[in-house]
Amino acid sequence: MNVLGLHFGLLKRSNWLLVLAMLALVVIGVLFIRSACAARQEEVIRGLFRLQILWAAVGLGVFVLISLFDYRRLSDGVWLYYVSALVLLVMVLVVGNEVYGGRRWLNFFGMNLQPSELGKLSLLLAVAWFLSRPGVDPGRGRTVGVVLALTAVPLVLILKEPDLGTAIICVPIVFAMLYTGGASLKHFGMMGLVGGLVLTLLFGTILVPRWMGMDVAGQKAVFTRVTRLKEYQWKRLVVFVDPASDRKGAGYNSWQSAIAVGSGGLTGKGYMRGTQSSLGYLPRTVASTDFIFAVIAEEVGFAGGAVVLGLYAVIIACGMLAAARARDKLGRLICTGVTAMAFAHVFVNIAMTIGAMPVTGIPLPLVSYGGSFMLCTMASLGLLQSVYCRRI
Amino acid sequence: MNTRNDHRDSVRISVLTLLMMAGLLFLAGALWITQISRGDHYAHNARRQSLRVVRVPADRGRIVDRNGIRLADNTPSFSLCVFVEEFRKPGRWSFTAEAVARQLRDVGAVIGRPVEVSAVDFTNHIRSRLPLPLVAWTNLDARVMARFAENQWRFRGMDIVATPSRTYPLLTRASHVLGYVGKSDLTAVAKKEFDYLLPDLEGRSGLEHRYDAELAGVAGRRILKVDASGFMSGVSQEMDPVPGRDLVLTLDARIQKMAEAALEGERGAAVVIDPRSGEVLAMASSPSFDPNVFVMGVSRELWKTLNADDGDLPLLNRSISAVYPPGSLFKPVVAIAGLENNVWDPDALVACPGYYELGSFRIRCWNASGHGTISLRKAIEQSCNCYFCTLGQKIGYEPIFHMAEAFGLGRRTGIELDGELGGLLPSAAWKKAQVSEAWRDGDTCNASIGQGFLGVTPLQMAVLCATIANGGHLYRPRLVRGVRAPEAPALGALLPELVRELNWSARTLAVVRGGMHDVVNAPGGTGKNARLEHVVVAAKTGTAEVGRKGEGHKHVWMMAFAPFDAPRIAVAMVVEEGVSGGSTVGPKVGRLLDGIFSEAEAHG
Repeated sequence: MNVLGLHFGLLKRSNWLLVLAMLALVVIGVLFIRSACAARQEEVIRGLFRLQILWAAVGLGVFVLISLFDYRRLSDGVWLYYVSALVLLVMVLVVGNEVYGGRRWLNFFGMNLQPSELGKLSLLLAVAWFLSRPGVDPGRGRTVGVVLALTAVPLVLILKEPDLGTAIICVPIVFAMLYTGGASLKHFGMMGLVGGLVLTLLFGTILVPRWMGMDVAGQKAVFTRVTRLKEYQWKRLVVFVDPASDRKGAGYNSWQSAIAVGSGGLTGKGYMRGTQSSLGYLPRTVASTDFIFAVIAEEVGFAGGAVVLGLYAVIIACGMLAAARARDKLGRLICTGVTAMAFAHVFVNIAMTIGAMPVTGIPLPLVSYGGSFMLCTMASLGLLQSVYCRRI
Repeated sequence: MNTRNDHRDSVRISVLTLLMMAGLLFLAGALWITQISRGDHYAHNARRQSLRVVRVPADRGRIVDRNGIRLADNTPSFSLCVFVEEFRKPGRWSFTAEAVARQLRDVGAVIGRPVEVSAVDFTNHIRSRLPLPLVAWTNLDARVMARFAENQWRFRGMDIVATPSRTYPLLTRASHVLGYVGKSDLTAVAKKEFDYLLPDLEGRSGLEHRYDAELAGVAGRRILKVDASGFMSGVSQEMDPVPGRDLVLTLDARIQKMAEAALEGERGAAVVIDPRSGEVLAMASSPSFDPNVFVMGVSRELWKTLNADDGDLPLLNRSISAVYPPGSLFKPVVAIAGLENNVWDPDALVACPGYYELGSFRIRCWNASGHGTISLRKAIEQSCNCYFCTLGQKIGYEPIFHMAEAFGLGRRTGIELDGELGGLLPSAAWKKAQVSEAWRDGDTCNASIGQGFLGVTPLQMAVLCATIANGGHLYRPRLVRGVRAPEAPALGALLPELVRELNWSARTLAVVRGGMHDVVNAPGGTGKNARLEHVVVAAKTGTAEVGRKGEGHKHVWMMAFAPFDAPRIAVAMVVEEGVSGGSTVGPKVGRLLDGIFSEAEAHG
């Protein structure tokens, strides 16, 4: 078999629109990371955008490699990825670096790695592999149960870090895969019921004590005891329920981010001229990562924000096209999962940035600063491409 | 089976795609609401938290006399300031505080002054005025500034800042006219409009107060960008203040000096007017004060002294805000009233036995042995009470009242100062209302010799004198020639403002002015102390008794004009607790007029 010829054929069958949208988002990300860090005193941080270029270059390499790699051969190693991701997730709980009250980072030869990113991806592969196995009937409750169990193990470990954001992302990924994988709507109804109950419980423990007029300490006690969540998470949810309650404390990021976005108007204040980010009202530590969309919306306004949303729409459309055209069920499931993951990230991140959802530390794919996430995103998009090139 | 599943899967893929696109559309809608519908709300919040408006006061206009001599001026006071944001250290505030303190110690050693900013001062600065420079040393003298300038390259983040300050170079000169300034008390509106106010001055009394709007100019504003920690990160917008306009006075600083010198050590007032125009050339009140002490704020003790209840009242402008009985200065008014109503013949003779008998009362004449039988001109010269009581009784009070009213007595002259009093010109109706008694002959008699209820200000007497001097043109007295922009050309002549034309007959004028001529120039005239060799002076003296009869409290007066044939100067001067107009005030007025005319000759 002519390897080069094969590769040439793959190249011709690639989705170039996807690649263009990716590159555009990466460029936008680099530009606005530069803007977000321009006012920083530390030389290293002002140069973060260069590091992001490096990450993007490495990520593109990973993307190309994975596109060339036949996704069908993944099934051999799925368990290996899944188990090693679990091991890393356990390791991070034991020896991880503690940052902002959570253990989310592993130090690997001087490089920081976020195992929850790997966990997310390997969960996606494991579920896709399991649902696409011959003889597995997705319509049966047992299948759904196994998928939920597969999901639960890494999810619990991720929640333990705690990294609520990544954990939340896992839910729509798995649901989307179950849906396109053929799970019965009856089971969705049941899961929806359970989910609704959980949400009711969550917000109930916040709202009911407030309506009863409990003092703050009492409200916190009810919440932490019933939900087993942390106090800072209570604060974030309270701020979501009542945004004006704590603009200087827990609601600060959300409020400042909303000001940044809102004050951008139609066309923004101009590149590198966002006051909210340059004057540090938008907290500097998150301006280049989780809140990068606030910087974009402030500096290039609704027009720029809409362009970013449009690029994501292109990526999602390409992803779902790959799912529809996939050669087999495994490919379809992988594409569904990857696209759902990208969408969930975009939706949760931007909704959080404009104050429509509580603050959870979720980065914006391809745009936010961060190496692990960039590599993970590129790898998953590489899978999309790998499926698309090998379509019927 | 397989095709059915495939169909189901592709439907589900389409559904999922639509769901995700709907999600993106939702985000676009939410983005639209945040940025477009509610954009103004957020933009307002962004500005509010990151911009600070500083009020930058304008340079205050100067006050100069008619010859351009500066009576009120601006001399900046210099401070050495620290721009705290340049010392910013990451981490705790104390790191930044230490960096600033270290710098201040070094600079203090170089300029030779101890560090005056305490830790508490620094904390307060950070808490309430962080975006503004921290004032480290104030009132720098030239030597300190030179030392700092030589070493400035070593000290980043520091600079000398000039704060305008008010000075009155001639000290107490014309202090009552100029008034004084104090630290401005801005209204709540201004406080809402500005986040930070730089020190500013506002007029508190005198012309500084009356012309505050013109002198103050329009404050500018500097809009600072402030970062999330509150440090100044740049200037967003700057609107320069519009400097105040200069006030050009009619006063002549040299004449003012002579008038003040004449009153040295006395309580009293003197007003010098140009009878040709009503321009006030000098307005003195004694004792006076140094307005310079008010600029930086007055201490409690000093304020007490200035307002002590010992009768000195140095802040009181006696020229316009003190009311005295006019005494014999009123007699020319009575004379004109009699002559102009054609009820009194100027040559009518009255015998003065030394007193005037009214029913069972006797009103003493100042010459107890009597003036003999005299005419009106002589009666003015001798200030004979007996004659004027007889005249008053003959013509009645009404013409006297009307003539006094025509002279503007009982009403403010409208000079450009606050606190002017109108004095009191009593009428029958007034007396009825005030003391529930009818007007009696005794009241008319008292009024005829300037006693009783009558009250006038020295300025009113100066105007009265000027009006007699110029032949009956009553001009409004003026202190201000005009306001002009700092570098604008000199002002043209001021048009006199005629209040009233009194239209006296030549005969009336000849008698009254002749009488006043004799007051000074006749051998036995009451005002012979004001006689000058080279200029013919005309005058009227007055001695007004105050308080209970016989206690001997007298306010003594003289009004004078000169040269007799073409008067250019009219003066009224009062001294509290004097002996008599002729002996106490006469020499002072004489010296003042002598000074004015010698000066005028010397300067052409």
